Amino acid sequence: MNPFVWQRAAAISRKEVFHIIRDPFTLAAALVLPVFMVLIFGVAIEFNVKKVALVVSDADQTQSSRRLLDTFGSSGYFLLQHAGSPNDAIEDVTAERARAALIIPPRFEKDLYAGRGAQAQILVDGSDNSTVGPVLGYVGSIQTIASRRIGNFNSPNTYELRTRFLFNPELNSRWFVIPGITVVIMAILSILLTALTVAREWENGSMELLLSTPVQPLEIIVGKVAPYGALGLIAVTFVYIIARTVFGVPFVGNLAVFGLGCLLFLVTYLALGLLISVVTRKQVVAMQFAMMLGMLPTQLLSGFIFPVESMPAFFQYFTMLLPARWFMRIARDTFLKGSSLLDLGGAFLALLIFCGMMIFVATRRFKRDLEP
Amino acid sequence: MNEITVDVRNLSVRFGDFTAVDRVSFSVRRGETFGFLGANGAGKTTTIRVLCGLLHPTEGQVRVVGVGFEDGERAIKSKVGYMSQKFTLYNDLTVDENLSFIASLRKLDPAVYAQRRTELFDFISFGRPLNTPVHDLPGGTKQQVSLVAALLHDPDIIFLDEPTAGVAPASRSRFWAMIRKLAAIGKTVFVTTHYMDEAEQCDRIALMREGKIIALDTPEGLKRNAFPMPMLEFDPKEPLSFAEVSAMAQHDVFSFFEPYGLRFHASIKSEEAWERARPQFEDTFIIKRITPSLEDVFIHKVEGQAV
Repeated sequence: MNPFVWQRAAAISRKEVFHIIRDPFTLAAALVLPVFMVLIFGVAIEFNVKKVALVVSDADQTQSSRRLLDTFGSSGYFLLQHAGSPNDAIEDVTAERARAALIIPPRFEKDLYAGRGAQAQILVDGSDNSTVGPVLGYVGSIQTIASRRIGNFNSPNTYELRTRFLFNPELNSRWFVIPGITVVIMAILSILLTALTVAREWENGSMELLLSTPVQPLEIIVGKVAPYGALGLIAVTFVYIIARTVFGVPFVGNLAVFGLGCLLFLVTYLALGLLISVVTRKQVVAMQFAMMLGMLPTQLLSGFIFPVESMPAFFQYFTMLLPARWFMRIARDTFLKGSSLLDLGGAFLALLIFCGMMIFVATRRFKRDLEP
Repeated sequence: MNEITVDVRNLSVRFGDFTAVDRVSFSVRRGETFGFLGANGAGKTTTIRVLCGLLHPTEGQVRVVGVGFEDGERAIKSKVGYMSQKFTLYNDLTVDENLSFIASLRKLDPAVYAQRRTELFDFISFGRPLNTPVHDLPGGTKQQVSLVAALLHDPDIIFLDEPTAGVAPASRSRFWAMIRKLAAIGKTVFVTTHYMDEAEQCDRIALMREGKIIALDTPEGLKRNAFPMPMLEFDPKEPLSFAEVSAMAQHDVFSFFEPYGLRFHASIKSEEAWERARPQFEDTFIIKRITPSLEDVFIHKVEGQAV
């Protein structure tokens, strides 16, 4: 085993810095792209459904029915449209002029006062799954409020469940989404930054120069990861500042814990990018692999959009093989829950293993000779 | 001067089913300028890459400056200088950034690097600022800087793989002047080339064809062995038709007949036969005896186009 020589790794890093500062594309990709991405995704991705078009048909026209409608209207979640009849209301939903319909039958108030239990009907457009869940949630809450406002009718419930949301009291989806976007951005950025570097050296012939010297694969890998890791940390700092200042996402955890997670995740994906580059030796192919491995699993299987717990059992286990799943947990929990290094021990251990494994595999697959 | 710097015994390199180098044996003496001549795909570059530790031999033994693959390819890499046929420096880095990068990879002390850089820039008469980006250098100067990069660690032997390919004639000439200077200070130079005039300047030349060395000698020795009988040059007084040229090439008095520009070079089988046949050519050609060129040898031996 030949000794690792820091002088050589530092020389590779210095050379990469020269490449980076003279290549506007790399600098822009590393520093400007993440800022744009967090701004665009931060605004565009909104899981809270507000101002749902609700068409109402009030055949009762009593104080109670109007109070019920007022409660819906003043909630902020619904925009009320009035329909002449239940059929008109259903037609509005069918024609997609409204997402849901509230149909209040005649005798609504009478049934209520008679203690027979008044009934009204909510029809929700089930073809758009993304709105059904939130709408049903709102309806449940509004029903409780409306019961109190309409009169002193004792709820058949003998107890009341009061819900309070911890860590994100207003259920602001941006608080949840933006730490997740940070993970996605870091994955795409870091894998792309390094995926081209080794392939470029093979294509322009400079790999022959490198390999003709006594430099070792690990020195090349470390030398290449270091400057791009630093660049990635600068980029994530920008993303963090935007998350806190522009979107007002709270950060209640320890910055050092979050930073350590960022560093481990960055190095893992930078090494994965290098592995792609080492194996493919062609920039175009490396780029395609990087996009595929960097974007798809991170967006779809890391828990960013779809909760891992809701996935089929196979995928719940499969996602354990994705570093992004573990960093997603670290990012969200440090931002919103203030989890400590100890709380996130499992996630950090997983990232540490992936990081070491990726560097090991990239180094092993690095060819020391010019065999085609 | 008789110390062996490169010793190759039954070297074979195979890539799958393809044999790039086939049981090649030769040795190179210290201070020698040794040339490899052959067509594209003959195995020259593959052999050089093995000798520089860039490729592992499939079979055979290789020792370069006293070390072999059994000592690890890094041992070989640290002893040799290598300049690839491809331009391998970084175009977006300056001359100094490129060279200091190589110096660091070879663990040269900064003071030693600075001294070597000055010496080598004097050697190649490099007068441009050190912070000149490499992409701003002319092709010939880029090659010279590549040579400096290969010489920074002061290797005993330098491998140059087609160092002047695509370089202007004046630059080629200057580059070969440097190679002669290197040889003069005792460096072993191992060079592959496509240019016959360059090959003529080597102390010895190995001719390669299909992975095998088919001849190895001094330029004069190669010519003597390839053409033991006199070589004649035929300068046609009038342009010839294809049929006339073809008929001449088939004439049984010649062992070799090839066009050489507007003229023809031919080697005769025997003096007696030539004297008998000579009168029939004298009306059509101005005939003179010449020394065979290395190109004649190359065509005869490597391309196998002997009549």
